[in-house]
Amino acid sequence: MNDAIKTQISAFVDGELPDNESEMLLRRLSQDLELRQQAAEYFAIGRAMKGHRDVKGIATLRERIAAQIGDTEFSETSVRAEPAGSRYTRPLAGAAIAATVALAAIVGLQQVSGVADIADAPEAAIIAESASDATYTVPVQADEQLLQYRLLHNASTGNINARLVTLQLREGGITEPGLENPANDGSSTDDEEAQDQQTQ
Amino acid sequence: MRNRRRILNVTTRVALGSAVLVANIAAAQNDDPHGWLNKMTKAVQTTNYEGTVIRMQGGTTEALKVVHLVVDGIVRERVLIQEGNGLEIIRNGNEVHCILPDKKSVLVEEWNDQSTLFFSMPSSDIRFGSEYDVSIVREERVAGRKTVMVAIRPHDEYRYGHRLWLDSATGFPLQTKLINVDGKAIEQLKFADISLDEGVDALDLQPSYDIENFRWINEPRRAITHSVESEWTSDNLPRGFRPVSAHQEHVPGGDEPVTHILFSDGLANVSVFVEAKTERDVAESSSVGASHSYSIAIGDHLVTAVGEVPAATVKQIASSMQPE
Repeated sequence: MNDAIKTQISAFVDGELPDNESEMLLRRLSQDLELRQQAAEYFAIGRAMKGHRDVKGIATLRERIAAQIGDTEFSETSVRAEPAGSRYTRPLAGAAIAATVALAAIVGLQQVSGVADIADAPEAAIIAESASDATYTVPVQADEQLLQYRLLHNASTGNINARLVTLQLREGGITEPGLENPANDGSSTDDEEAQDQQTQ
Repeated sequence: MRNRRRILNVTTRVALGSAVLVANIAAAQNDDPHGWLNKMTKAVQTTNYEGTVIRMQGGTTEALKVVHLVVDGIVRERVLIQEGNGLEIIRNGNEVHCILPDKKSVLVEEWNDQSTLFFSMPSSDIRFGSEYDVSIVREERVAGRKTVMVAIRPHDEYRYGHRLWLDSATGFPLQTKLINVDGKAIEQLKFADISLDEGVDALDLQPSYDIENFRWINEPRRAITHSVESEWTSDNLPRGFRPVSAHQEHVPGGDEPVTHILFSDGLANVSVFVEAKTERDVAESSSVGASHSYSIAIGDHLVTAVGEVPAATVKQIASSMQPE
């Protein structure tokens, strides 16, 4: 990442980037996985160098992006189920993951968010708190019948966006060819959880 | 000479009058939110487009590459999630291939509808009744294009609101938001960039992955046994909701058919499933994104309501179901 991009991101965080440049930056981030990875590392390194336990930049970046997307009212509510700990959800590894998801949620950094945040769980927990994030849970298919009901409902209403959600739910029940143990299906969620546990 | 000048004057006046009339009609159309919704419905069904969509839901943000072509009335579409599992959907008419690269698998499904990335609007003749207000809010730019922002606001807490940013030139939705009862956006789609019509290439509909060695999983066809006059009714539905269909369907993996009743207020939809009660352990309520479900035992049956509505709505609908 060159200095110009760093300057641009910093200006964006500070709300000093003109609207047209903000739009271009967002567009670039949305299209360039490598740049998103670099942006995530940039924030992580900046935090480490400053020795701050709280990274206001991350929260600010999110607020700025939310504002740019016209989404100041965007809810942080995530997938959840009642009663707590029911079969429909599986909490990730606590607040550390919540922090990484808080960052990931900004610009879709899911694939790289573990780089530094997970390595510093207590700090990450504070980040999560400062960002007012609810603990993130991912949908895990356990009740096949309910999943089928969701699929039937979505098929009846023709909402592809809802279908994307149920497709992702359904993916949890599909194993890679040749894998005998579904528990070791190599899904990204399990990988994240494993990484998180190793680093704590 | 004088006659010729007079004729010119008359011609000019007629032309000016026509221009004013056209402008007035256009202005009237521009001020009519329902006119914009009709324009949007037509645009969604007929427009070819290609672009990057930012999808925000449940605290996560994903970028989607979307290519959408309508050829002779047949929808051809490719949706590629740029993050996470990299799910890719290739659609050719009713046949849909869902490519799961992490699982090295392709799910083959049949979608017997005109699903689009954007929620489908009801036809104008049943639109909204008295459950929603529709208004034009302001003009804004989205993806570098001028848009008109339309708000659909519910009158009560039993349904979500919508915000739509419609392309000023075509009516195509460049951004949509689903708004909960607290006024917070719970789901959002927004184009970061888009090419409309002229820039769309059919070659971009090819899969991104080499799927030659992937496992193909053919999903069983949706087995609708038959339409039924449902024996289940409710006398306490949230205002505006009414039954629009009832079927008996075989759920994959299930032994007995379930009764599926679809309720709608013209915009929001809730499905109610009635099955014979079993030993199966069931959570009372759950949510995925904007969708909620609620299950309750009524007599010897288990009733489950599912829909993109607030939790209170599925609870009230499920709880109010009674056999006739």
